[in-house]
Amino acid sequence: MNAIIDTHQLTIRYGDKAIASEINVDVPAGSFYAILGENGAGKTTFVKTLIGQHHNYVGNLKVNTQAIGFVPQFRDISRDYPLSIAEFVGLAFNRGWHLFNNQLEKSAIHDALEKMDLVDIADQRLGLVSGGQRQRAFVAQALVKRPELLILDESTASLDHEHKIQLLTTIVRLQKETGLTVLFITHELNLVADFADGFLFFANGSVTQGNAQALKKLTVDMTVTHPENEVHYV
Amino acid sequence: MFEYSFMQNAFVAGTIVSIVAGVIGTFVVARNYAFLTHSLSEIGFAGAAFGLWIGWPALLGMMLTTVASSVAIGALESTYTKRDNVTSAISALAIGLGILFLALGHTSSSAATGILFGSVLGISHRDLYLLLMLAAVVLVTLLFNYRTLRQLSFDEQGMFMQTQRQQGVRYVFLVMIALSVSISSQLVGSLLIFVLVTLPAASAKYYATTTVQLMGMAIIFALFGTWVGLSIAYLTELPTSFFIAIIEVLIYLGSVWQFKRKA
Repeated sequence: MNAIIDTHQLTIRYGDKAIASEINVDVPAGSFYAILGENGAGKTTFVKTLIGQHHNYVGNLKVNTQAIGFVPQFRDISRDYPLSIAEFVGLAFNRGWHLFNNQLEKSAIHDALEKMDLVDIADQRLGLVSGGQRQRAFVAQALVKRPELLILDESTASLDHEHKIQLLTTIVRLQKETGLTVLFITHELNLVADFADGFLFFANGSVTQGNAQALKKLTVDMTVTHPENEVHYV
Repeated sequence: MFEYSFMQNAFVAGTIVSIVAGVIGTFVVARNYAFLTHSLSEIGFAGAAFGLWIGWPALLGMMLTTVASSVAIGALESTYTKRDNVTSAISALAIGLGILFLALGHTSSSAATGILFGSVLGISHRDLYLLLMLAAVVLVTLLFNYRTLRQLSFDEQGMFMQTQRQQGVRYVFLVMIALSVSISSQLVGSLLIFVLVTLPAASAKYYATTTVQLMGMAIIFALFGTWVGLSIAYLTELPTSFFIAIIEVLIYLGSVWQFKRKA
């Protein structure tokens, strides 16, 4: 299978300091990959490097698509946030000056809402829907330009278990049906162990790549080390 | 009351200012720039006082200082420096300078009051053309950058792949706020900029769910306050700014109350 992300001896720096060195990974197109590691291990910087927002690196990095959707970790949405879910999803169309969406944009918005099961509540205010629905709206916005690579930065962190599973199930269904590649940054190893095709593990300045079996083994090892945690935080 | 040309001018000026304030206010409120806008109006006070001191029109002095300050605030704000702190520092300096310029220029108290509280009934035909021109510049610039500005204001975190042009829109937006503040102060004065730039848009956000609806409702609220305020002021011979302020505050409180009841 073709790799959508391919790195060779990639070292990512922050100032003079190397955050992760000699990264040699290849993420197959159409796969679901978990990105794991402690806070500050370099996961987000790695992703920023992929999307061209962090340029301080040496080595080879190939990202074989420009169609990337990104769901950031923090979103400042208060209860009185005025926009409807549909309008929020359409914010991604940020070029040009037209006040109203054209037919193509409207159909792309509808498509993204449908993928995330939001059509019925498309006109509701984003500030007033549940946390789970809000996360779905964030993902829908990242999907609206029909990306080939979708990156989610801890998108399930604030959700209860039921909503975490719902969101992940929807994303995995999309990945299987449309061939979307998904990179999912998370601390919740147990949660992704059943879904992911592989993982990138950031620790001690290096990155380890593994497949689904290795991820399950890693989950068991971690749970044995920390049996008190049902959901283990790596 | 329309037989008097000063009232005709006041209504035309009020209409122009309300449209500009409603449009820019939508983005100001969405981006939480209310404090910055208020500070720019204080900075505008210093600029107007400076203008009067050296013999320029007050509006020109106001525009120069607000535009320069908005660019300075844009350049200084960063992840390391909170925008509000930068704004406070610059506006504190501006008010101090404003008082100094008023004293140096031996500016009459009525001119100072005009800057602070507006002098809509003193607007001439020439002022109207200038207002119209500035309003056109602001509206066309905002429209030209509409979609980038919409995302910047309503979902900055979503702009993860920013181009240079998109970064430039931040400055364009700040400069447009500065011009709008200068324009609006002609009507309600620099102390009451909140009344037209912030309050109508803040009220609209409890009713509207799209950006275009928000701008439309903000314009309607601003126009309503301005027209009714001007009419009552004419009948009672009391200050226009007072009535516009009261009407906009009542609309805002009513909107918040209704939203809380429904939500």
